[in-house]
Amino acid sequence: MRRLGGSWGRSVIWYATSIAIVAVFLFPVYWIFSVSLKTPREIFRFPPAWYPSRPQFNNFWILIRDGDVWSIWNSFVLAFSSTMIAMVFGIACAYSIVRFKTGGENLAIWIISQRLLPPIAVVFPIFLIYAKVGLTDTYPGLILLYTAFALPYVIWLMRGYIQEVPIALEESALVDGATLWQLLWHIVIPLTRNGIFATAVFAFIFSWNEFMFALVLTRTEVITYPVQVSQYFGAQSTFWAKISAMSVLGTLPIFFAVAAFQKYLVRGITFGAVKG
Amino acid sequence: MRTRSLLKSIGVVALMQLGGIAAAEENAATKAIEAAKSYSGTTLKSAEEAGLMAMLGMNITGPEWKQLTGIGLNVTEIPFEELFPKQMLEHKAGSGAYDVLTIGPSWVADMVRNGALEPLDPYIEKYGVKAEFDDIAPAFKDWMTFQGKTYALVVDGDVHLLYYRKDIFDDPANKEEFKAKYGYDLAPPATWKAFGEVCQFITDKYAPKLYGAGLINTGYMHFFFSERFRTYGGKFFDPETMKATVNSQPGIDALTDMVNQLKCQPPGAQTWGFGESLSALNSGEIAMTITWPPVARWAQGINADEQALSWVPESQVVDKVGYALPPGGHPELASGILLAVSPDSKNKDAAYLYIQWLHSKQESLKNVMRPLGLRDAFRISHYESPDFQNLWPTAADYLKTLRQGGEQGYSDLAILETYKYWDSMGRAVVAAIGGKDPKAALDDLAKEWDALTEQIGVDRQKAAYLEWAAKPSAYRQ
Amino acid sequence: MVSSKISHIKPTRDTPSFKHILIAPAVLIMLVMSVIPLVFVIVVSFQRLSMSDQITSFEGLVNYWRIFSDARLWEAILHTLTITFAALPVELLLGLLLAFHFVGDRPLKRLFVALLIIPSVISPMVAGSMWRLMFDDRYGPINQIIGWVAGEHISILWTINSAWVYPAIIVADVWQWTPFMFIILLAALANLDREQLDAAAIDGASSWRTFVEIILPAIRPVMMIAILIRGLDLIRMFDIVWQLTRGGPGSLTETISIYAYIRGFQEFDTSYIAAVVVLLMILFSAILVFTLKKMEIAR
Repeated sequence: MRRLGGSWGRSVIWYATSIAIVAVFLFPVYWIFSVSLKTPREIFRFPPAWYPSRPQFNNFWILIRDGDVWSIWNSFVLAFSSTMIAMVFGIACAYSIVRFKTGGENLAIWIISQRLLPPIAVVFPIFLIYAKVGLTDTYPGLILLYTAFALPYVIWLMRGYIQEVPIALEESALVDGATLWQLLWHIVIPLTRNGIFATAVFAFIFSWNEFMFALVLTRTEVITYPVQVSQYFGAQSTFWAKISAMSVLGTLPIFFAVAAFQKYLVRGITFGAVKG
Repeated sequence: MRTRSLLKSIGVVALMQLGGIAAAEENAATKAIEAAKSYSGTTLKSAEEAGLMAMLGMNITGPEWKQLTGIGLNVTEIPFEELFPKQMLEHKAGSGAYDVLTIGPSWVADMVRNGALEPLDPYIEKYGVKAEFDDIAPAFKDWMTFQGKTYALVVDGDVHLLYYRKDIFDDPANKEEFKAKYGYDLAPPATWKAFGEVCQFITDKYAPKLYGAGLINTGYMHFFFSERFRTYGGKFFDPETMKATVNSQPGIDALTDMVNQLKCQPPGAQTWGFGESLSALNSGEIAMTITWPPVARWAQGINADEQALSWVPESQVVDKVGYALPPGGHPELASGILLAVSPDSKNKDAAYLYIQWLHSKQESLKNVMRPLGLRDAFRISHYESPDFQNLWPTAADYLKTLRQGGEQGYSDLAILETYKYWDSMGRAVVAAIGGKDPKAALDDLAKEWDALTEQIGVDRQKAAYLEWAAKPSAYRQ
Repeated sequence: MVSSKISHIKPTRDTPSFKHILIAPAVLIMLVMSVIPLVFVIVVSFQRLSMSDQITSFEGLVNYWRIFSDARLWEAILHTLTITFAALPVELLLGLLLAFHFVGDRPLKRLFVALLIIPSVISPMVAGSMWRLMFDDRYGPINQIIGWVAGEHISILWTINSAWVYPAIIVADVWQWTPFMFIILLAALANLDREQLDAAAIDGASSWRTFVEIILPAIRPVMMIAILIRGLDLIRMFDIVWQLTRGGPGSLTETISIYAYIRGFQEFDTSYIAAVVVLLMILFSAILVFTLKKMEIAR
């Protein structure tokens, strides 16, 4: 009986601690959601209220009215197109590296180090070039950069997933007279389908969240949502209503993506180094 | 509408034969609108200061311009500190992202040298109305030209004013107590020493309900320090060697006082910017502040129902705010806003016409009377406008103080790469406010300035500085 | 993680062209976006381009020499290292504690873990904005909570006061990245050899000894990867600091990235920053190649 009571007591403690931990970590997120639903007057109330007295969506409506939501669309276009291109070329490249040892270890290291360089060191030279050829503040320019940014990531993750495909399948298909393209298309891609989805989702999120490239290279035409948020920190006032509403819009899609792909998360955020 | 069609018909007649006679009837606003109609259907992209400045374009003048001419306006908001670098960067990137530029007077020289501003004289020749240029107050007119050419049109004449609570200052009990304690009359302080004393006196008596002052202590700090520094007798450079002299005794005194006088300001005032100071004045929490001219309109509750301004607390101090020049009597002509045309624009004529319209006598008066947009009087006709003088009971007083400030104010430092010197100064002042020793902060500032001057070239910078320092508005001896 | 099993296809007649066609587009894009800019930036680093100079002739190593006497850059490096060495151990330790707490199966555990990971997937730029709001003197909840404990409102100016800016930055960073450490370490703990642990328990080994002698060596490789990824992130840090302090007060919290951004894109010291970037690239590439090879991540 004592044992049972003890384990029951421990359970209570465990759940209480867990809830407390989660509450602490989610509190800032809750706060920005709550601010986004307050009226501007209530946001600037002292002392601050912990929940909106009358939740309203006017802050979001103002983003639509003033056209600020275009930045969400821009973020989507840039992240989506660059992810798609990077997936196509990245899977091909990863397959070649895994199955034919193309480029050896050096190619693999060169590829991943492209991703780990400081963004400021990457974007500074890119800016100088783009200014010369007129690619700043254009979709093609930004998509090209984000594709180059996503490629190392895609290649590394796909490398791991492809390695897990039993090679025997491909070998027996070869014996049956399949071409190399058919191996990739009919065996490897179907068998790594889940990995492909997960990789695409995380590559998308990284581009979606990216701030510095966009800060340097976008002005008016393709401005992304993080840059838009940063511009609300005005000198006369900090426009918390817009900051919070835009942050919420930019964060919601990520919640859904992560909820759907939680299983692949550890692998996704460690560049495939930890399988989870 | 009737006047406009009348003018229009006169214009048509004038075009046919009577050019000379019609000129007397010309008006820059109407002329801009008429000429702009041929660009109907296009959209102008303008870079504007994030927040209230930009709201004018987004909510009022943009839609109106569209209705009048068919030309749309697409506003990009940029925080003040980033206006200069972003617009320069844009020019270097050459993508023509902005047609209309928002600039401060001390950037004109650098931008012209980098080819980032379109010379406006040909456009003025083509569309402008000369008579309206004579109406601009001299201090602000000076901003628009560089080496004899016009590069920008002023739309906002900024002057720092001291705002004070008349009810507190006029209270007989306060007057008596103050006189007994300090030996002189309680009045808007004429010196910084008096400012500190008046501030402390009010705080001691009323806090936490009311504090003596709530100044702007973050953002734009180079303006506030430049003003105080020169009032204390400081000079920026040694004119012989071009060594920075910001860490001279006047500098140290000015910054030390600035930090010490935080004590009589509300707790947390270190983080106050324009918005916080304005909110505190409006809610009746502070008795003095030094800030830009639109604050008078806000404190008076002009256009208080405007939705975009809902974050500004409703004024509790209507008819209680008085206007004076800041201590020392030489307010900083802090930035001011000029509009210019980007040489990378694909729509230069339309961009120019929009600027001319905003700058015109007729249109600018409307804008300098509303608090939204932060535009302030810059024309003689603004100071003298009966509409403006009667906008509220003490509006005439306000306009008189503004005009006086414009005539006696310090102009912003304008040398080569001023932006960097300012950035450096702003960081030094904020560091001192954040707790760093004022002398150490200024010594570091002087070191940074010397390094900058060294890089730019001592002789080149000296020439630019001497040219600036020769202006009467530089040091106001 | 490291396997030596043969996993490649024996070369046939078509493979040479096939394998190169496959890598060509990806490698081409990455080459174009890295080599051309690198050559360009090296050229610029030998010129003299700034706000007031447009000199494109060869100026030698002028810009490189300036790096040595640039106190603000060295301070920025110091700030970056300070943040890294303060935040990384805290994140690792907290992550480990959380992982121990959540290891083992219980109802709702997956939900807790899913919620807990949210901070690490939010845009760092949005996270910085959130904390700017949290730390606001009047309208933020942090000072309010401190006020409840203290009994009166205490104005801690988190983003302005030189004594509090670093704690503010570190709190924000720890909040965002502890979950990252946590979820990786949780995965590592979950993969531990149960039998070994049970055996240790029967032997009566103290839990500290079990940790040091069994658990730690077993999760070490995964921990090193987590430290490597976070360490590189911290050294490149920009977003959170930019949103919280913009490098202020003064230049007290300028990181390497913020410093280079301000000098390069706000002050237009183009050639000088080009030199800084060239050195940064060389330094980083060397570190990366060394650690990646050493850790055998590339296999």
